[in-house]
Amino acid sequence: MSSEYSVELKGLNKIYSNLLKEDTVALKDINLQIKPGEFISIIGPSGCGKSTLLRIIGNLDKPTSGTISYRDGADQQMGFVFQDSVLLPWKNVKQNAEFPLVIQKKQTKENEEKLDELLELAGLSEFKTALPRELSGGMKQRVSIVRALSYDAPLLLMDEPFGALDALTRDHLNEELLKIWQKTKKTVIFVTHSIEEATFLSDRVIVMSARPGQIKEVVTIDLARPRGDVTRNDPRFAEYNKYLRGIIG
Amino acid sequence: MKKKGKSAGFLRSVGEYALSIGVFIVVWWLYVGLKDVPAYILPSPPKVFKSLVEMFVKGSVYAHLWTTSYEVVLGFLIGGFLGVLFGYVFIKIDALKTMLMPYLIFLQTAPKIALVPLFVVWFGIGLVSKVVLIISMVLFPVLSGMMLGLESIPPDVRNLMKVLKATKWQVFTQVEMQYSLPALFASLKVGIVQAVIGAIVAEWMSGKQGLGYILTYASSTYDTPMLLAGIIVTIVLGIVTYQAVSVLEDRMLYWHESKKA
Repeated sequence: MSSEYSVELKGLNKIYSNLLKEDTVALKDINLQIKPGEFISIIGPSGCGKSTLLRIIGNLDKPTSGTISYRDGADQQMGFVFQDSVLLPWKNVKQNAEFPLVIQKKQTKENEEKLDELLELAGLSEFKTALPRELSGGMKQRVSIVRALSYDAPLLLMDEPFGALDALTRDHLNEELLKIWQKTKKTVIFVTHSIEEATFLSDRVIVMSARPGQIKEVVTIDLARPRGDVTRNDPRFAEYNKYLRGIIG
Repeated sequence: MKKKGKSAGFLRSVGEYALSIGVFIVVWWLYVGLKDVPAYILPSPPKVFKSLVEMFVKGSVYAHLWTTSYEVVLGFLIGGFLGVLFGYVFIKIDALKTMLMPYLIFLQTAPKIALVPLFVVWFGIGLVSKVVLIISMVLFPVLSGMMLGLESIPPDVRNLMKVLKATKWQVFTQVEMQYSLPALFASLKVGIVQAVIGAIVAEWMSGKQGLGYILTYASSTYDTPMLLAGIIVTIVLGIVTYQAVSVLEDRMLYWHESKKA
């Protein structure tokens, strides 16, 4: 099914059946419309089903009931950035980043040039021939993001991509991610457990509650773009954070 | 500076190796000389060396060396290939694993030397019975290694391939094979040693060719220098084939943590 929205979720439920215990309702009646080019974050306490929701959007998991429609129909191309960078250890930075092009047989000169630009944008140009084991956690995650962007899928799904990084690296990568997003105009769905990260990055923040996993509130973040250090010092940034913290409880 | 350190280290390990063998030979020589051991029980090192040189100079050993090497390589390749194939199929199709695994475990735990007479009856005293024995010895370790390797692939790597809409063949060639290599090579190194043992044992029992035949011939004619020379050739064949697998491993696993310089 195609949709005018980048992604549209209608009445999505996910129930894990268990013979010995009561069924676990991981997601209950999720309705969501995401516009093309939007930056959406999903936050909530652990176990609220936010990763499950992302995996369902990414076709890695199936909903028990409900429908998902994408803008480009059933074979929607999307990029997925996992919690761990999942780089292939035998491939160097360049080879890892272009891996999707190899798999999808899209190694055109144009795409290779775009890839070089992305590597440049992510500050990886000098590390093209480095193996993953030689890189820091932050660098690996950058490669992983470039890989997800390399084949120009209009939809980018990110599952706590910076969760394992230290606060400074995380802030830095957040700014870089926004730069890349502004340049590539992707729709981004970003799962995180950091309220500040969600506020800083998003157009809208989806707040979820646990057991059953439901959408509690959708908060529009009306802060000027491009965002940077100025945004973090803006009193309204702190207000948004306080408000979100209040809802999550 | 670093390179110099490396070659000095190499020279040192070669030196230590030579010293160790040298001491062993001297002790052996002294024991034979002082105790006046008869040559048919334990010949002195020069006698064995002379027999060894004769084998190569007169050229009598080459045909046997070739036969054994041929069996080892052929059996190892077929057994290795079947091990990889079965390992892959067992991981993908659980029912097959449940059905066939008991037979393979039986084959693995049964003393395979006991099967040689049966193989001779079925496949004759030529090449085939030997290769079949070698395959049976190589198959199981490689199969176990392949299964372990396939099971050690991080789930998110599979998810990545799914997101990229990769075909099954692409998943196999681009990801599964590579991730299996560390465990696979560990098992191939066991397999190649098994292959040499298998070839020698099979040749003891049947046939008129091969290093195993030289050993039984020398033993039955009390030609102990030749027997020991034959054993040395066998050991060298084992080391060379093992090292060949090892070198291949170093080249293919350059990226692995265990190969960090």
